[in-house]
Amino acid sequence: MTSAPSSAANISDVPNPALAVATLASVTEHVSALPLAHPRPRFWWLIFLTAFAGVMLLLASIAWLFVRGVGIWGINIPVGWGFAIVNFVWWIGIGHAGTFISAILLLLHQNWRTSISRFTEAMTLFAVACAGIYPLLHLGRPQYFYWLLPYPDTMGLWPQFRSPLVWDMFAVSTYASVSLLFWYTGLLPDFATMRDHAATAGKKRIYGLLSLGWRGDARHWAHYERLYLTLAGLAAPLVISVHSIVGLDFAAAMLPGWHSTIFPPYFVAGAIFSGFAMVLTLVIPLRRVYRLEAYITDRHLELMAKVMMAMGWLVTYGYFAEFVASWRGGNLYERFVGVNRATGPYAFAFWLLLACNILIPQLLWRTAWRRNPAVLLGVALAVNVGMWLERFIIVVTSLHRDYLPSSWGMYRPTFWDWSTFLGTIGLFIALLFLFLRFVPAISMSEMRGLIAKKEELP
Amino acid sequence: MSAPPLLHPSIPPLRSDEFPAGAAQWPPDLSRRDFVQLMSASLALAGLTGCGRPTLDKIVPSVAAPEKSPSANARWYATAVPSEGYARGVLVKTVDGRPIKLEGNPDHPESVGATDAITQAAILSLYDPDRSPAPRRRGETSSWHRFETEWNEMRGALATTRSAGFAVLTEPTTSPTLRREIHALLDAYPEARWYQHTALGRYDNAGLQPDYDFAAADVILAIGGDCFHQHPAALRYARAFASRRRVEHGSVNLNRFYAIEPTLTLTGALADVRLALAPHRLARVLNQLADSFDGAPNTAGLSVDERSFVERFARELAGGRPAAACVVGAECDAEIHAWAEDFNARFAGNVVQASKAVRSDDDPRCRGSLAEFIEDVNSGTVTTLAILGANPIYTSAADQDLPGALRRIPMVVHFGEHVDETASMAQWHLPAAHFLESWGDLRSYGGLATIQQPLLEPLHDSRSALQFLNWLRTGIWSSSYDLVRDTWRSASGVATASDFEARWHAALDRGVVDEPLPPRPENRAAGSDPLPRLDVADDTGTITVLLRADSNVGDGRWANNAWLQELPRPFTTIVWDNAALIDRTQAEAMGLTNGDIVACEVGGISVEAPIWILPGQAPGCVTFPLGYGRTAAGQVGNGCGFNAYRLRSAASPWMRTGVTVRKTGKKHSLVSTQEHFTMDGRDLARTVQPHEITQRADRPKPATDLFPAWPRDRYAWGMSIDLGTCTGCSACIVACQAENNIPVVGRDQVARGREMHWLRVDRYFGGEGTALRVVHQPVPCMHCENAPCEAVCPVAATVHSSEGLNDMVYNRCVGTRYCSNNCPYKVRRFNFFDYRAPQGSPVYLQSNPDVTIRERGVMEKCTYCVQRINAGRVAAEKENRRIRDGEIRTACQQACPVEAIVFGDLNDPTSRVFARQREGISYALLGELNTRPRTQYLAKVVAGSAPNPAPEPA
Repeated sequence: MTSAPSSAANISDVPNPALAVATLASVTEHVSALPLAHPRPRFWWLIFLTAFAGVMLLLASIAWLFVRGVGIWGINIPVGWGFAIVNFVWWIGIGHAGTFISAILLLLHQNWRTSISRFTEAMTLFAVACAGIYPLLHLGRPQYFYWLLPYPDTMGLWPQFRSPLVWDMFAVSTYASVSLLFWYTGLLPDFATMRDHAATAGKKRIYGLLSLGWRGDARHWAHYERLYLTLAGLAAPLVISVHSIVGLDFAAAMLPGWHSTIFPPYFVAGAIFSGFAMVLTLVIPLRRVYRLEAYITDRHLELMAKVMMAMGWLVTYGYFAEFVASWRGGNLYERFVGVNRATGPYAFAFWLLLACNILIPQLLWRTAWRRNPAVLLGVALAVNVGMWLERFIIVVTSLHRDYLPSSWGMYRPTFWDWSTFLGTIGLFIALLFLFLRFVPAISMSEMRGLIAKKEELP
Repeated sequence: MSAPPLLHPSIPPLRSDEFPAGAAQWPPDLSRRDFVQLMSASLALAGLTGCGRPTLDKIVPSVAAPEKSPSANARWYATAVPSEGYARGVLVKTVDGRPIKLEGNPDHPESVGATDAITQAAILSLYDPDRSPAPRRRGETSSWHRFETEWNEMRGALATTRSAGFAVLTEPTTSPTLRREIHALLDAYPEARWYQHTALGRYDNAGLQPDYDFAAADVILAIGGDCFHQHPAALRYARAFASRRRVEHGSVNLNRFYAIEPTLTLTGALADVRLALAPHRLARVLNQLADSFDGAPNTAGLSVDERSFVERFARELAGGRPAAACVVGAECDAEIHAWAEDFNARFAGNVVQASKAVRSDDDPRCRGSLAEFIEDVNSGTVTTLAILGANPIYTSAADQDLPGALRRIPMVVHFGEHVDETASMAQWHLPAAHFLESWGDLRSYGGLATIQQPLLEPLHDSRSALQFLNWLRTGIWSSSYDLVRDTWRSASGVATASDFEARWHAALDRGVVDEPLPPRPENRAAGSDPLPRLDVADDTGTITVLLRADSNVGDGRWANNAWLQELPRPFTTIVWDNAALIDRTQAEAMGLTNGDIVACEVGGISVEAPIWILPGQAPGCVTFPLGYGRTAAGQVGNGCGFNAYRLRSAASPWMRTGVTVRKTGKKHSLVSTQEHFTMDGRDLARTVQPHEITQRADRPKPATDLFPAWPRDRYAWGMSIDLGTCTGCSACIVACQAENNIPVVGRDQVARGREMHWLRVDRYFGGEGTALRVVHQPVPCMHCENAPCEAVCPVAATVHSSEGLNDMVYNRCVGTRYCSNNCPYKVRRFNFFDYRAPQGSPVYLQSNPDVTIRERGVMEKCTYCVQRINAGRVAAEKENRRIRDGEIRTACQQACPVEAIVFGDLNDPTSRVFARQREGISYALLGELNTRPRTQYLAKVVAGSAPNPAPEPA
């Protein structure tokens, strides 16, 4: 067992562990086989159809929502935001790992990212798609969502730019579009490979169209590299900004439990924490099913586990800072929020959150457990649950008991709250499986590039 | 089946189907000539249906409209709302011929320009979809004509027997015309009998009713009752009481209020010292109280609370002989009333005056109440019965077998607005007109008469009680207009016909008849005779059940009024239900929590009821509110709550002793709008001691702000709410609902925390025993100058007006609910569903045309009645002047009996709201958040040694 590198500088020296076994030809063969040959079809169909049932549930929930109104959910006065916002923040958080891995680690020359970047970028896109549904659905009058956009309307009305929701709208839509562009740009050479390897004329045509006429020309490569780096440069600050602004949705309000300056950085850390947890949750079973252990090695898992743990500690610091600030701040209302979270009617969620986000990840101090896919999967699942609970605690417990005890209330999620949530999970998995089915899940061009580099410089 | 010939029926159809079988076919034997004959007859008869209806061109609008309305067609009419038979003077706002709002009539002494919650809600009952639309014969829809035919067949028989066996059952009334008609009926039918039934109390004692001048009373002792809330003179009393509680310019001529009651009432909650006392202890405490007046203080055998109460009250009376008045609730025994009379004779001076009873309770021509009625039925002397207005099947005591009695009567006619429990027992049900649909007259508790004017043609085929009684006697449908005028034409002081017309017109205009009141008997000379000794009862150690009228639905007559159903009950804030109110100690001893169902058994009758723990209950007393558990109230009221009348006995209508209460293990989810009743150490509803009034409250200095201050060059609207005078009666909530088209959302939605009231009354309890403190805090939108809601709305749907209003633009709202999340006062309300009434519902007729009806998915909240502000502005600008102080009153302000709410311009240093906000005890709720609310509160001044709960440092 190698000793774990203890600092970021050391990590950057780590070559992609997948290179040990792969060759130029084997990369292309293996990766392109996933969409083209469609191995393990029964597994794929089973999961896809299950997820598709979730999509149908989502559609039914949305249809009922539009027929009846947001009252089908458990929201009320005082808890004006419920599952919709909890899930929105959760999904957006999950959507952070992809761009973090692709852009920030690219800029930091972390070569090990190559094996997982494509997959995590796709995950990001689908998570953002799931997240993006919620702010729209949660509106009382969703048909007028475009009033949040600064479009030139005849009455000269603009959005109200002091509202964090407007910032949010800009941040999320920018993030979604840049992530999409980044992902698609990275796919161009691979689509061309797919076109060249496709067996049928139809597939050749479709992949050909998607590859935008890529021929592997040196000029193509030069433009491509420049564009890819530029997009990475653009995407990197977005990783920080999106969740900072989501954090501001809460921090800008004057509600005890929301009104906290630590929220933006703490939200970013939480987002990356949950994003890596979700990557691990998905990658561990998939690499086994599709025999990708050669590309996504245990070493990859270990590195991700380390990032996750580091983020977990940042999040823990956030909890601590929030608690100390509310306790020592001398503000009666802030202090009550802390007490109410720990002892109030939602205390079970609070303590479960601490267990999932602080206690369980400490297992990863042991190298053996970091490299054990089963343990890692368990921890990642716990973090997913914990991060969802964290958003639930922030949104619901702050709202349900605020300043005037006369207005205190309870939030009880309804069937439709749960069905919408399960529906977006279904949508997420369905999109992911469509991606696995039709798009190379590992960047062949980057992998080949790394192998070529290795062969040049033994 | 072949259709019977339609035009030449030898047998009349048994059913009154609107479209009988074959109606659509052209009968072969119908000639053109027959058809024309039929049509012309129909047309001619169509005109006749108008006969006997009041004609609306005779009603007289009030000259001085209390509030300008932007609707050009708004008019105001003075009339009176019956409240337990007594008049509450109101002004009715009508727009385009439909009444939409009731306001107090400032000229009416029993209204003092204000209203209570029930009066505010009475307008909705006019448009109740469940009102009876047509006569019914044995449950089948029929017609007036058929009733008349059937009755006229009996008329001859009645005449021959001098109408022996004919009985009329009414509620006690103050209406001179109704009484005249009843008397005339009894004259015409010498053997006929008249019975009166009310489920609620009598306010007279042997024909004399005490009247109080609470403004002149320095010390008040209330024994039971609820004189500032559920009393025919409650509004006048509450205002007079408030005049001794209101801080003005740093001073108040504070009275001292002592209350002894077994269960918490709004009146008792106002008391400085309140003793929660079980009824069987009352005599002992009063005896010892009397001893202490006579210089022989004796507190032996009293509990700690009782002793402290007796000692403190005795101290009040010891020095200086203040004017002290004792007011006793209608539910108390006669000997307590006698004790109070003696007390008042000795201490009250002219604060209490007796006058002749206004209501017909002890009318010498009345044979009696339900007890006598049932006796007569059982002796077989009643064969024909007409029930007017009352619903005795529902409200009679359990030990009176009224259903059995009614079954023994061959002909029962029920005349009422609803097909209620009694109607279903009657052979005939006849629809009665609403008080806003017919002429009538009523007297107030003080004795002044008001002519009731109809504000619209009857919505249904209904008649007034006056018409019906008159028809029973004469067989002719006279108009109620003529009947009422006949009464007043012959009234004393009317000289000539033209004099009458002038007086009549003036009476309609002002809403009060100008007539001399009968002289009041002289008060007894003040003496120092010892008060009578009361018989001390022994504590049986069993549970006492107290039966009380529900504060919202009364005796049950308002059960089908959705506004009153959804109005949170004072103290419990329960909606759509009643609950057995129980002391915490007792609940804990029995292992009960809120909503646990108990079975109460007394006299062989068991009633199951969910419990609610309430502070201020006397030990061993469980309160059962009446008026619920109705089975034929209508869609709104059916199936809500449990029927506490089943625990009533005719001999003891207000309490039962020796009750066994057993936990059943079942649970009922009671829905309340407030779940936490303590302030948790927060400085929310302040109380101060009298010596603190002049100390200027520490006001947080406005923090420096990045944003420029709002300009305050024109008007700066603001509000001041006086917690010291607020009784918690909730009239403001219903007034707001009526004014602002606020929807009713139903029990399930309230349970989910989605009630829509723009104004709520928060309740906080503190202290224990005699120092129990209840503070009612009405919370409308604060109209913050630094409004947290405005900053977070992404579409600028909630914005600040140049006059400081925090406006809500419904059209622009997309429904993010962020504003509500960020509102520290949680006054915003959201349309989670489409809460509008179904299309075509008659309740739309009540809607205020000046206020938008909100659609699904938009936020709404208190606007300071912006439509009234705009109307006032239009009126002022037309005259090229500023809006005067008091010219604009918000709906809540206008309804408030104690003037706890004052609205006005803070830029005007002479305005009342400006003066109030300058008081030392004026404070901003959560002012430390720097929201700078325009609505401020005056702290409640509490006489007594109860410490002000010190807030934790915030």
